[in-house]
Amino acid sequence: MAEKMVVSEDEAYELLAHLVASAEICTFEPHYYGTFRLIDAASRLMDCMLRHGSNGSRAWLEAFKQEVDQKKVWMMWDREGYFQFLREATGKVAEALKQREGLAEPASTAR
Amino acid sequence: MATATPEQTTSQRAEVVLDVIRTRRVVRSFTDEPISDADLRTILEAGRWALSAGNRRINKFLVVQDPKRIRLVRAVSPGMLARPTALIVILTDTEKAAREQVQLDKDLNTWIDVGTAAQNMSLMAHALGLGSCPATSFSRSGVAAALALPPTMLPEFILQLGHPAPQQRVMRPGASTRLPIDALTFWERVGQPLPRR
Repeated sequence: MAEKMVVSEDEAYELLAHLVASAEICTFEPHYYGTFRLIDAASRLMDCMLRHGSNGSRAWLEAFKQEVDQKKVWMMWDREGYFQFLREATGKVAEALKQREGLAEPASTAR
Repeated sequence: MATATPEQTTSQRAEVVLDVIRTRRVVRSFTDEPISDADLRTILEAGRWALSAGNRRINKFLVVQDPKRIRLVRAVSPGMLARPTALIVILTDTEKAAREQVQLDKDLNTWIDVGTAAQNMSLMAHALGLGSCPATSFSRSGVAAALALPPTMLPEFILQLGHPAPQQRVMRPGASTRLPIDALTFWERVGQPLPRR
């Protein structure tokens, strides 16, 4: 796996602040907001990755970030659609990870 | 900006106001173009005219345009999804509140005043062709540190402002939309629906 650095120190500090602040406000916000903070943090991480990352997985990352940004806000007006998106999102990341590890099944055997 | 003139009838003026209210949307994508001082002052003027419980006026507005400072506030404000070019932070002046004998830990009216000012400013931003987005999900201690607030000034609300960038709102088919007035309102007694027109 490529070991390219994709988050600068400044960006890491920003993410750190975001995660710590999220932990704080999760103590008084509705519980499902916690899921929103996490998926939003994932979007912010992808922002950094797109700024510094290699071209290899750029297209996938751009598309996934766009989907996350479009659907994360469903939490505010379409909660069932939002939860459904979350249930499907991890599978997409897992597929991308497999691709990076060279573990993707040939098309005929892929489920 | 649409403003009422003496020639306008009451219904025309009402239509202008309702149109601004109805067409305002939360904007989460902004361009880099800064907001002019004149526009910021007009927005602040709208906030100044917001109703205030007992005319106590315990809130202050803090304008932030320094990109570094905005970035810092955003880092400790998970509710700030956008990258605005200006912020208006609504603060509670605890010294003024004490002089007015406001019990901040018990008096919910103080929150209503924050809301009325925020709504006025948000509507004015929209009327000026600008976008706005509220943020209430932020770390109080984090924002206080980022903005070097004195301990007597409590951050209550952050209005994110900027020139709107094109944004695409994707809706799932079948997703619920804004509630109709019938679903929000009772007539005379709780449980009694609006009369048919």
